[in-house]
Amino acid sequence: MKVKKLCHLALLSAAALVIFVAEAQIPVLFGIPGIKPGLANIIVLIALLSYGPGGAGAVLAVKLVLGSAFSSSPASFIYSAAGGILALAVMILLRRVFGEKQTWALSAFGAVAHNTGQLLAASVVLGTSKILLYFPVLLISGAVTGAFTGLCAQLALPLVRKAFYGSGR
Amino acid sequence: MKRSAKILTAALAAAVALSAAALLIAPSRAVTARIYLDGELFAQIDLSAVEEPYTLAVGAGNTVLVERGRISMLEADCPDKLCVRHGAASPLSPVVCLPNRVEIDVEGDNPGGADIITGGAMQ
Repeated sequence: MKVKKLCHLALLSAAALVIFVAEAQIPVLFGIPGIKPGLANIIVLIALLSYGPGGAGAVLAVKLVLGSAFSSSPASFIYSAAGGILALAVMILLRRVFGEKQTWALSAFGAVAHNTGQLLAASVVLGTSKILLYFPVLLISGAVTGAFTGLCAQLALPLVRKAFYGSGR
Repeated sequence: MKRSAKILTAALAAAVALSAAALLIAPSRAVTARIYLDGELFAQIDLSAVEEPYTLAVGAGNTVLVERGRISMLEADCPDKLCVRHGAASPLSPVVCLPNRVEIDVEGDNPGGADIITGGAMQ
């Protein structure tokens, strides 16, 4: 791994971690568990678009492991990991389908996959399928928050590239 | 925009619309209702056992309407009447009257499920 790439991914991981920890301080929105902006995904998305699946996977892994160490209970790692890995897998699969101008749509799919993964993990851990009734709520919130974070990534990407490579590439 | 991207995005939009429709149509599965006054449990009602609708005075200013599987605020003496306009309480949206510190929570047929999740699991 080139030093430059390593530095860039380390910077992105640190940014993702800070956003993740800061976001954990925001109380649950609308009183519905599972709904949150998922702002740290902006960074994972930027890593995916600039360094491909490997880079995004590395940033996600750092965010998951250190993120669960820094905040809340270790048990939440299962949910974050199930959501994060499924989201990234879906975005890797779909990333050639969507152009860079449709990053918002790619991200919406990622966020819905994230919520689906969390819900499936929760139903396995809690041993009940009844919580799958939350799916419609989480589908809507995932599509909305995912499109928002995707738009953020889409707008931030040229700036990040400029900072990394000195030009818009 | 590629054709496949258009189709996928349209499918997601359709799924969102369907979910929204399902949420609006779905009957509230309220089973157990708890009424809190000043943060303390005032009454607990099994809504599936309610035969005839009745009203219940909570504190000085609020009247709660209890029906089979449904509970709502009928009257309140506060100026904004937000709690009255809220309609029936559902597991995801409790009825709250802030001025009089009255809250109506309901649980669906999966007691504890939401609490377990709120307890840090999905944070």
